[in-house]
Amino acid sequence: MSPTAALWIAGTLLVVSVAAGVVFRLLDGRRRGGGHLRFDPQHATTALGERVTLVQFSTEMCTRCPQVRRMLSALAADHDGLAHVEVDLTHRADLAARYRVLQTPTTFVVDRSGAVRARFNGVPHRHALSEAIAAV
Amino acid sequence: MTTPAGIDPRGPRFAATITSVLLLIATFLGLIGISTAQAGSFGWFAYQPLSDAAFTPTNWAIQTASVAQRALDPAFLVTVVIALLFLWSVLSPATAPWGAMFRRAVRPRLAPPAELEDPRPPRFAQGVGLVVVTVGILLHLFGVPWALPIATAAAFVAAFLNAAFGLCLGCQLYLLLQRAGIVGRPARAS
Repeated sequence: MSPTAALWIAGTLLVVSVAAGVVFRLLDGRRRGGGHLRFDPQHATTALGERVTLVQFSTEMCTRCPQVRRMLSALAADHDGLAHVEVDLTHRADLAARYRVLQTPTTFVVDRSGAVRARFNGVPHRHALSEAIAAV
Repeated sequence: MTTPAGIDPRGPRFAATITSVLLLIATFLGLIGISTAQAGSFGWFAYQPLSDAAFTPTNWAIQTASVAQRALDPAFLVTVVIALLFLWSVLSPATAPWGAMFRRAVRPRLAPPAELEDPRPPRFAQGVGLVVVTVGILLHLFGVPWALPIATAAAFVAAFLNAAFGLCLGCQLYLLLQRAGIVGRPARAS
């Protein structure tokens, strides 16, 4: 292959990578519907909230889980009736399948009956998360 | 769950920046090298079109090259160096060269990090990178055309997304591999 053609391919690779990163940024952390999923309280190690529970799915190999953990626990500390619960999927592929989690961090907004009212894949947008909590 | 001491999250991204540059160079060299060359277009390569032209319409230079010729391809040599750097980061992340360079030359010039990061995810991602480039290296040695530039291009995308967007593809892969039963221990009874 000629160096010119190789440069074109390498340049295209760079452009495609930038596009993939932009798409990832656009899709990440948006509010989505929870479908008909229900969160089973026995999968939580700590108590659920009286009004709303933020269920965060994490693994040990998750770079962005700590920042979401800080964000959600700060929210829970500021609001009455709001609890933050973390579910570690590192050894629980069964839970990942049951709750249809394909990436960590994933956050569920769960109401007092256990229904998943909204879900956020990635780092939740602050405003969208506040709206989802207020809508419960 | 015991968590190891945290690291500055900018360290792995600094390393990913250098790695992505190296991988882009390796991809370029792979594209102009023996991996994608048609037989006959390579100067040092003796080609006899009459013998097997009827059987294979496309003849790749790498298929008829010797293993030594495949291993002396510049892209191959660069990729081997990248693979060794990945291996170093997996075996001993604390002494890996880009991390050491970051701590010695870059970090003193920056403000202290806002938060520390778990060192396990980047280490796992380095392992994923090692697997990807090793597959390319082995297929190249076995004479598979395009294997090397495709492997380095795939690793480049992952390293670039980490460097430029803070997205760790290798880490994201963990949950998918775990769900497929490839990594992680089986579920405990709840």
